[in-house]
Amino acid sequence: MIPTIGHTAVLIGLALTVYAAVAFVLGARGGDQRLVGSARRAVIGSFVAAALGCAAMVISLLTHDFSVLYVARNNATTTPPFISAISLWAALEGSILFWALLATGWASLVLWRQRNRHRQLMPWVGATLATVNAFFFAVMTWPGNPFARTTPVATEGLGPNALLQNHPFMALHPPLLYLGYTGLAVPFAFGVAALVTKRLDEEWLRIVRRWTLVPWTFLSLGIVAGAWWSYEVLGWGGYWAWDPVENAALLPWLTATAFVHSAIVAERRNGLRIWTSALVIATFVLTLVGTFLTRSGVVASVHSFTQSAIGPWFLVAIVAALGGALTLLVWRLPELTGGGRPSSTISRESAFLLNNVLFLGVTFAVLFGTLLPLLVAATSGETISVGAPWYNTVTVPMFVALLFLMGIGPALPWGAASWRTVRDRFAVPVAAGAVVAVVAFGIGLREPGSLGILALAVIVAGVMVDEVVRGARARARGRGEDPATATWRLATRNRRRYGGYTVHLGVLVMAIAIAVSSGLSTDRTVTLRPGESAEVGAYTVTHDRLVVAPLPDDARVIETAAEVRYDGPQSGTLRTALRDYPNSQAAIATPAVRTSLGEDLYVTLLASDADSGAVTLHVFINPFVVWIWIGGAIVGMGAVFAAWPERRLRTATASEPMPVPATPSVESA
Amino acid sequence: MRTLRWLLIPAIVLPLGWLLLTGFGRDPREIATPLIGREAPAWTYATLDGETLSSADLTGRPYVLNFWASWCIPACVEEHPVLADAAERLGDRVAFVGVLYQDSPTDAEAFLARYGDAGYPHLVDAAALAVDYGVTGPPETWFVDAEGVVRARKWGPLTDATMREYLAAIGVSG
Amino acid sequence: MRGWIALVGVALLAALVAVVLLRPQPEASTAERARQVASGLRCPDCQGLSVADSPTAAAQEIRRQVDEMVAAGATEQEIRDHFVARYGEWILLSPSTPAWWLIPFVVLLVGAGGLGWWLLRGRSDRSPDANATPLPDAERRRLHDEAEALDA
Repeated sequence: MIPTIGHTAVLIGLALTVYAAVAFVLGARGGDQRLVGSARRAVIGSFVAAALGCAAMVISLLTHDFSVLYVARNNATTTPPFISAISLWAALEGSILFWALLATGWASLVLWRQRNRHRQLMPWVGATLATVNAFFFAVMTWPGNPFARTTPVATEGLGPNALLQNHPFMALHPPLLYLGYTGLAVPFAFGVAALVTKRLDEEWLRIVRRWTLVPWTFLSLGIVAGAWWSYEVLGWGGYWAWDPVENAALLPWLTATAFVHSAIVAERRNGLRIWTSALVIATFVLTLVGTFLTRSGVVASVHSFTQSAIGPWFLVAIVAALGGALTLLVWRLPELTGGGRPSSTISRESAFLLNNVLFLGVTFAVLFGTLLPLLVAATSGETISVGAPWYNTVTVPMFVALLFLMGIGPALPWGAASWRTVRDRFAVPVAAGAVVAVVAFGIGLREPGSLGILALAVIVAGVMVDEVVRGARARARGRGEDPATATWRLATRNRRRYGGYTVHLGVLVMAIAIAVSSGLSTDRTVTLRPGESAEVGAYTVTHDRLVVAPLPDDARVIETAAEVRYDGPQSGTLRTALRDYPNSQAAIATPAVRTSLGEDLYVTLLASDADSGAVTLHVFINPFVVWIWIGGAIVGMGAVFAAWPERRLRTATASEPMPVPATPSVESA
Repeated sequence: MRTLRWLLIPAIVLPLGWLLLTGFGRDPREIATPLIGREAPAWTYATLDGETLSSADLTGRPYVLNFWASWCIPACVEEHPVLADAAERLGDRVAFVGVLYQDSPTDAEAFLARYGDAGYPHLVDAAALAVDYGVTGPPETWFVDAEGVVRARKWGPLTDATMREYLAAIGVSG
Repeated sequence: MRGWIALVGVALLAALVAVVLLRPQPEASTAERARQVASGLRCPDCQGLSVADSPTAAAQEIRRQVDEMVAAGATEQEIRDHFVARYGEWILLSPSTPAWWLIPFVVLLVGAGGLGWWLLRGRSDRSPDANATPLPDAERRRLHDEAEALDA
């Protein structure tokens, strides 16, 4: 009964999005606002349908309805309710259902909020979004039906993927990530609409600003949450392995970030039309490519699914989206050229453009690295690996250059800069950076890469602080406000800039944290019998006892846990375990992490001997790791601040359009 | 000149589409092996029964080396009857040798008791042999001909058809 | 004053760079060399980890062999070749062909060069835009800022 409702909801969603796509196009071409209105309502209806479908799936999971194949594969009678509920996005078909929910949600939101404005653009925005969502409903109708039945109905299911049950972050990471992915279809839709309607001036960029920043925030937080989850769960002591699934999330983030920056220049000067259009297209296509890579089974990843019929569908979608958007771009190319030329001097503008080149450089590198094994296998039959060392060697210099630009960019004027200005702005920060780097070298940080990033980060922070202080001081002096009020008032009246500063500050914190944690981290593998201790860095680690028992809330899982006492900058006890799930071959490590502001004590259980009670532990001391997550939170806060609506000036709405003079008689500012 | 820019579209879309398409039908975890056509590594290991077996004992005979584990479910369970059947029918013409991959003798014996023991020896503590053959995970089956040259490898579970095909490659028909 | 501070800062950085780059590297111990080699080899039954970072039995066996070979005096290249002969190129965590390492930098340089060319071309090639409204730049910026305030 419930699965049938769910399946029907999917079919209704398909019908509504197809109708909406057609109605939007017809309404746009004929200027028929009623048709457009009905199409908009159909999109909202598709959101309701997706919600119904998700509800049906969650109920099926909670009630352990094994007549549904997805439930039989990802759920068991012993699965706790919380895990059952989040198993909605545990595997392929359910995650597409969840995706459809969020995608139709974004579409409904943007169409509803803009329903009385931009009447030329919105129907085409709606048509694009409806087509994209129709694709996902179609995938759920044919190759990837989440409500497919299975007979005979088993009495017990396979249970969720072991990795899913190990950490509550599995509830947070996919939703954040998907909100980002699905939301980035909105700027794409605006770009397509602008191309179709030839309304290619900076209007669409202004509208799309917030609709890009919000999904960008979710995507950023989702990526950081993924790294954090991977660090806490996977047990190898690291947080980023350049696995294809990680790259799949990073690629659209890179082009979206490039877009956010180039949009600032493009808006100011009504230029860069080809470039900004290409960037939104690339961002959306990369979300499809990323989804394809992780769901088609074409590349090996932590996240791989076996090859299914869904792969070819996504491939067709990628080709159609990329081909269609490019055709639109080339078709409108005559309209796109022109617009102001940037100055070629050293200025904030050229810094922005160089920023874009670097972001695209990193994007190419990551895409190249991810696809290279595929390319080599296709052309020569050889199998090669592209691992973390390659990615680090190739991308770190580019990131360092970006860090440098992040520092000097805001300090440069929009027009040409003189050397004297540069020297004055940078003198103190450079000195501060040098001092910090020397001190770090003194306390033991020897890795040249880490030292460089640390020095650079301090320099950039210094320049930024200088910017903020300078602005606040000017305002305080002019209005007689105290510094704090001045800074706050200045920030809230320039949300974009100060939000941007905060985001950059967060990035700096993350850069310093990454540099220090990779340069100063130590680890040791020790084998201890009960009662024995070992020294690792500043800590003394003592093994108390080995406990083997089933989990309290899922009796099918046997946990082998080492209880350990530790002493040092932090003291206490911890429990690190290996969990044996019935549907997994290898035991899953549950590392124990003790976090402080200074460093993380990270302990993984490698092996144990039940007879002697001895354990082999891999102990890491990872300094500053928590600052990566704090930095990520700062980035999120900065983006929220930037996207927050500013106080609206009261506007008079005329009932008729006012006649506009042929030549504007505006006085020069 | 204007038509040239339209060529940009297939120039970008087609190579990307082709590249992603080539991925289908191939399992990305199956790596190409450099051992085909080369001399098979020599080895000497203890077996599950407590005897010692070495590759020298098999000179002049083609042999099948099957890496497996009791925890390798369902793949090793799937291919077990295929191996057992072939060993029974052709055991006089070709030698079958199992190799435990990261498994304990107790678990392995339980597996054989449950799914049937075809009577051919299984090597234990053969981690170095797995490295010599470049094994990435069970099941992997290697086919060595009578001259001691590696002729074929099956990555993943064997089927009757692939067993026949690879046996033919080492000169054993049927 | 600023000038002096800037000079001191740059001098300090230069000194640090010199020290870091020119320090005589201490002779790496056998254990460190073994770890160095191991970190370039891929763990056969993991996802993208090196044998140095991986706890699996296969990784341990490879590390054991690496330790043996390093102790016997083999060079890093010889050890890598030893494993490539068994697993193929795949066992190397990163590709050995230099071309794959250079291509991303080449692409970046081409992109940066393209940007430079485009910017410099603009200087001499300021053709009037037929589609643009005849608004002076300052006007356009002011209108933009006002529109921003309304639409924020």
